[in-house]
Amino acid sequence: MKKKLLVVEDEEGLRLFYEEELKAEGYEVLTARNGREAIERLEKERPDLVILDIVMPVMDGMETLGRILGKDRKIPIILNTSYSGYQQDFMSWAADAYITKSSDLSELKKKIKELLERGRGR
Amino acid sequence: MKILAMILAGGRGERLYPLTRDRAKPAVPFGGIYRIIDFTLSNCLHSDIRRIFVLTQYKSTSLHRHIQFGWSILSAPLGEFIEVIPAQQRINEHWYQGTADAIFQNIYTLQQEKPDLVLILSGDHIYKMDYRKMITYHIEKGADLTVGAIRMDRKQSQEFGVIEVDNEWQIIGFQEKPEIPRTIPGDPEGILASMGIYVFRTEILVRRLIEDARSESTHDFGRDIIPAMIGKDRVFAFDFRIGDQGGNGYWRDVGTIDAYFEANMDLVSVTPQLNLYDSQWPILTYQSPNPPAKTVLLEEGRVGTALNSVISNGCIISGGSVIRSILSPRVMIHSYAEVEDSILMEGVDVGRYARVRRSIIDKEVHIPQGMKIGFNLDEDVRRFTVTGSGIVVVPKGIRL
Repeated sequence: MKKKLLVVEDEEGLRLFYEEELKAEGYEVLTARNGREAIERLEKERPDLVILDIVMPVMDGMETLGRILGKDRKIPIILNTSYSGYQQDFMSWAADAYITKSSDLSELKKKIKELLERGRGR
Repeated sequence: MKILAMILAGGRGERLYPLTRDRAKPAVPFGGIYRIIDFTLSNCLHSDIRRIFVLTQYKSTSLHRHIQFGWSILSAPLGEFIEVIPAQQRINEHWYQGTADAIFQNIYTLQQEKPDLVLILSGDHIYKMDYRKMITYHIEKGADLTVGAIRMDRKQSQEFGVIEVDNEWQIIGFQEKPEIPRTIPGDPEGILASMGIYVFRTEILVRRLIEDARSESTHDFGRDIIPAMIGKDRVFAFDFRIGDQGGNGYWRDVGTIDAYFEANMDLVSVTPQLNLYDSQWPILTYQSPNPPAKTVLLEEGRVGTALNSVISNGCIISGGSVIRSILSPRVMIHSYAEVEDSILMEGVDVGRYARVRRSIIDKEVHIPQGMKIGFNLDEDVRRFTVTGSGIVVVPKGIRL
């Protein structure tokens, strides 16, 4: 069965870009425009991994990260942001990976693969 | 060095029921004028720790009010505060699942403060301790975590988290309430019990809390965090005797009604183990403005007396007698009434000819004329809580 990814990204262009690129990798891709939508989709559709932007309207990525862990403490989460400064935030340490946004998605794809292989049994 | 104290004050104190029916355990009155949390807060202030969060969740109104009235004494412009944080459900929609979860749920607060060290305390215990000595020790040892430890008899091991140390006092094992405990090196009858006092390097605290939060766990410092750190991080035990301000090893959990009763009764002895008269380490609290206590009536057979007792402000002992008892503020004892070996909380009124023995009477209870409490336990048990050792507890606000 296809692994299900949830991409949380407020910028429409980027959202579509990630969606297409990751579908091409053979994943099923769900998207959300902000943290609140992400929580809803997480509860309904049980994705296998979350890719989370940080700076977003309605509910930002740091807040969302905490909320996600409150619902599912083991789901792998990748913080995907244009800013490196958030690594100083304690909550960012709760993510499984921290990736600085780039048009080259090879690092992101590699991390996704790695975390899905590590599986949920950790 | 930036130090932040976080006091865990969310304990239900179920074994103190009915004293905890309307209030969290840290807010339970003690020694006439204090609340249990006053001891920990006073220790912090005397240890120059003035950035304090009190984490509450359960029946916290009484505790909030006490801290607001009694402890709004620090200077915010100087960066000092005692701030109550109720459970905010910012991460999880449940109550705190354990002591470690309580801190993890406040990770955003830690983020804002960014201290170098975090001192985690319990608001449940009665003792006098200079935390500076523990912090100095923590720094000297280059520790990631230092756990406050007190020597107990090995027979008591099933009541405590038991710490196993090597000769350098590095922690090499931790057993939660073990039947067969590891004893202290060179002291086969003694165990080191965890006092629930922790000094953490902030970064390690956050990392370990996150690891714990992301795994199946009871999210408890004693059961989960400490065992996971042993062998991985530098974890040391701190001997309470070094920081003990009382000098005699006094530390009480008062987890049960009987323990609570005994700890109070200690105060009416000639030389109590817990010295409240040390001007170097006064215990601060909130007191409403009451006039001084007084005794009145000096007639044949109708004398207001109080012997071997602690009498708070606002009490009037009017023609009745009080022996070996603790009276909180505004207690009224009417003529011919007799009170013995009892704890009477604020606003209790003992009517004429009433007799009270070996009882705890919670706030604002009016004992009618002629009523006897503590004399016929078979009768008392039908209306009140009676403990195994025969202490009667009359709950707050009951109408008799």
